[in-house]
Amino acid sequence: MELTDADLLARVIVKGDQHAFGELVRRHQSPVRGLLRQLVRADVELADDLAQETFIRAYKNIRSFRGEAKFSTWLYRIAYNVFRENARKRKELVGIDESQLQAEVDPQTTDPGLRHDLMNALANLPLHERTAVTLCCQNGLSHDEAARVLDIPLGTVKTNVLRGREKLKKMLAAWATE
Amino acid sequence: MNDPLDNLLDARLRDETRYIDDAGFTGRVMKQLPRRRFSWSTQRAFIIFAATIVSVVIAYFASGEGMFVHDACARVSGLRPLQLLLLIFACGTGMTIAGLWAALTRTHDMTV
Repeated sequence: MELTDADLLARVIVKGDQHAFGELVRRHQSPVRGLLRQLVRADVELADDLAQETFIRAYKNIRSFRGEAKFSTWLYRIAYNVFRENARKRKELVGIDESQLQAEVDPQTTDPGLRHDLMNALANLPLHERTAVTLCCQNGLSHDEAARVLDIPLGTVKTNVLRGREKLKKMLAAWATE
Repeated sequence: MNDPLDNLLDARLRDETRYIDDAGFTGRVMKQLPRRRFSWSTQRAFIIFAATIVSVVIAYFASGEGMFVHDACARVSGLRPLQLLLLIFACGTGMTIAGLWAALTRTHDMTV
């Protein structure tokens, strides 16, 4: 019988079982890495470095997980904090600002496919809208869970998702008529 | 009626949630985890063992280098056979109860 996340967490907390934590990493690595790839705009190497930092930080602070939210929601919250800290550092080191980040273009944008248009459109959304759309529409979090992850009011999450979707729809309008 | 553009967007966003292959990611994370600290049960066993050693040493010197053992042996050798049997039975019962208690406690630890 496959152990639940709660069982694995209990083993990590009570016995310091690193194998149980390894199983948790294996289960959650894909969505966490996916979220970070969206946040850092397809810089796979940086996204994976941040994902590693996310899981190491989760391990060190595992006792502070109270089980009030899902384990995945808690991980997303850590991932988002790790991303923000890194973005702040990068801004300090190389002077990148959000407007520059938004102007970055995915090298695959020349592909005429809908997928690339969508990814390009998503990558061009402002950070707060991109994050809200990724969490709610791609990772399947509820607005309430996304509000916890981003530590912002529920209404703001709803607005960001709505605005982000409207912009994506506008950018993709051409595809709907085909 | 749902906006067709909404449906298209939802479907495409869902499609984009592809599984990212682990490709050694978990292994890299595991290598970077901080060294495992001793679990509570290991720490408890260590504390009990250390306390036992210290107690024995203190008792040895406080009792005139273990003269109480010599005295106790002399007293036991003076007991009648029935008294000796009762003493052995009492000691055996005590040890059995202690062993059972320890085993039950360990079972409880393992099921948490």
